[in-house]
Amino acid sequence: MIQSLHGRALLAASLVLTAFLGMTGLVLDGAFRDSAEASMRDRLQGYIYALLAGAELDARGLLHGPEDLHEPRFNQPASGLYADIRGRDNKPNWRSPSAVGIEIPPTKASQMGVGTFDKVHLEDGTPLYVLSFKILWEEGLKKPRQYTFRVAETLDGFYGQIRQFRRSLWGWLGGAALLLLAVQGMILRWGLAPLRQVAEDLAAIEAGQARQLTGPYPMELRGLTDNLNALLDSAQSHLTRYRDALGDLAHSLKTPLAVLRGALERPTADTDIRPLAQDQIERMTRIIEYQLQRAATSGRTHLTPPVNVAKKAKQVKSALVKVYADKPVDCQFDIDTGIEFHGDEGDLLEVIGNLLDNAFKWCRRRIRISAAVVCEPDGKPICLEMQVEDDGPGIPENVIERVIKRGERVDPSTPGHGLGLAIVESIARAYGGKLAIHASPLGGAAIVVRI
Amino acid sequence: MRVLVIEDEAELRTHLQSQLRAAGYAVDAAADGEEGFFLGSEYPFDLAIVDLGLPGLSGIEVIERWRNKGLNFPVLILTARGRWQDKVEGLSIGADDYLVKPFHFEELLARTSALLRRAAGIARPRLRFGPILLDTVTQTVQVDAQPVELTGHEYKILEYLMLHSGEVISKTALTEHIYDQDFDCDSNVIEVFIGRLRRKLDPDNRYQPIETLRGRGYRFTLERSPT
Repeated sequence: MIQSLHGRALLAASLVLTAFLGMTGLVLDGAFRDSAEASMRDRLQGYIYALLAGAELDARGLLHGPEDLHEPRFNQPASGLYADIRGRDNKPNWRSPSAVGIEIPPTKASQMGVGTFDKVHLEDGTPLYVLSFKILWEEGLKKPRQYTFRVAETLDGFYGQIRQFRRSLWGWLGGAALLLLAVQGMILRWGLAPLRQVAEDLAAIEAGQARQLTGPYPMELRGLTDNLNALLDSAQSHLTRYRDALGDLAHSLKTPLAVLRGALERPTADTDIRPLAQDQIERMTRIIEYQLQRAATSGRTHLTPPVNVAKKAKQVKSALVKVYADKPVDCQFDIDTGIEFHGDEGDLLEVIGNLLDNAFKWCRRRIRISAAVVCEPDGKPICLEMQVEDDGPGIPENVIERVIKRGERVDPSTPGHGLGLAIVESIARAYGGKLAIHASPLGGAAIVVRI
Repeated sequence: MRVLVIEDEAELRTHLQSQLRAAGYAVDAAADGEEGFFLGSEYPFDLAIVDLGLPGLSGIEVIERWRNKGLNFPVLILTARGRWQDKVEGLSIGADDYLVKPFHFEELLARTSALLRRAAGIARPRLRFGPILLDTVTQTVQVDAQPVELTGHEYKILEYLMLHSGEVISKTALTEHIYDQDFDCDSNVIEVFIGRLRRKLDPDNRYQPIETLRGRGYRFTLERSPT
């Protein structure tokens, strides 16, 4: 199996071209041969008629050919053109002067008045084409007699003609084939050049010399190369995020562990150690949760089915209504049923879950959740914007920075507050979006996420 | 109150069992989904605590099967991964609340008692019926603002009767909800507890909070009043 597209196309084209030219050659060759043969027959037929016209009876009453033959080759011995006339006994009455000493071998019997062709060989092996013509001669006779006129021509000239035709025919065809193959090869090389370029560019990326397929590529390849570029992008940012998150995890676990170890090594450890140990273990737990969540965020996915935002938000809402069953909350929904999110379903649930959970926790009575697709001026969608508002105490401006900063929490008395927003912010960043905190007209916080 | 714990991790299961018992619950425990589903379907539990990551039958499937059978006791799910996907799935299949591991035991207790109160249709942790005030968080009882000392079992019986006030509760039902299946109990014991409760809550026989319906059981008679 040939692995290269170029090789395959070239092989197929060469085979087709060879077959086509070969058959053309055979047909032309056959046609030429037929026509040469036909013209030879016509000529021989002409000679027969000339003999018939000039034939006369001699003194013994035997039929002779004419004394004066117009065709000089009949008079020239061994010229290659011979004639004879035979009677019923099949013995020659007359021979053309050229046929002196040459016996035309017997040929197929012909019907009366019909020319019959035959191919025979002389004693020395020379091929001979013979036309025989049988007649009844009445002129000058009491009783008509049967005679056979024969004209024979050696095939040397005929074969020579055909050889010459063939030489020039195959010469031209071969030349044309070589030329066409060369042109074909060049066209293929030129046509497949973009594919070769993609392969070279990919090799360059593999070798670390490039980060993207730069192009320009032809239209048919653009879908492939654009998706490859997007894939490369997300894979690269994925890798970076993994490295960062796991590095952070290792680093941030060391501090609380050191504190814990220090506390445990104190001689008075038994009584005062517990709250401290508990606190540090709590810290470690939260760090692990946050960092592993970050590592699990899959980011923008490609070629995956979109997720319906309203459906997922409703699922999260009804789940939270159960959890906060003791708290009557008026949750206003403002999401078009057609809005879709192009990314990982788990990430979307994580965003909606954390935002709504915070809202349920902090609101007094009211929550408003809305979502819209942000578009470029030409209508091409860029990202999804979600906003969750509540009428709770809100988040003071001076702590907003700290709330978003990873793993830190604003109010230590309510577990989980800072962590949720930090996780959402990290997911938003993985999607190239962002998280913003404003004051809501409802009175509390308005959290806007673009993913 | 009788609680079912389904948790495959032996240490955590034993820990939960002993802590919940110490907090005054009757506790049965199962190590896998099949056993847990069977126990939950066969015995009258007031609440189940289900770990989502169980071997064999998963926590989600256990809850779904219970709900399909029409069993409506509240379910608290425990999950190791804090992913919202898991939480939303569990809650929409029929669980009522969730806790992410590792958790403080106090938090588990608070959620458990909140779910039990909610199941009884009572939103606040303190119940007042006439002169009797019951605090489900501190597990203390006051009559006319005077604290009353109750033993663990006496408290459990009183709490169960108050959460089901107005209903007739048979001795068997009371036994089943107060004791787990490992406990072998004589129904006379319930009569003894009821007698002691009456003496402690109502020494002068003024309110008669617990009524005896011969051959049928007991009923808490006082009207609920705002706390």
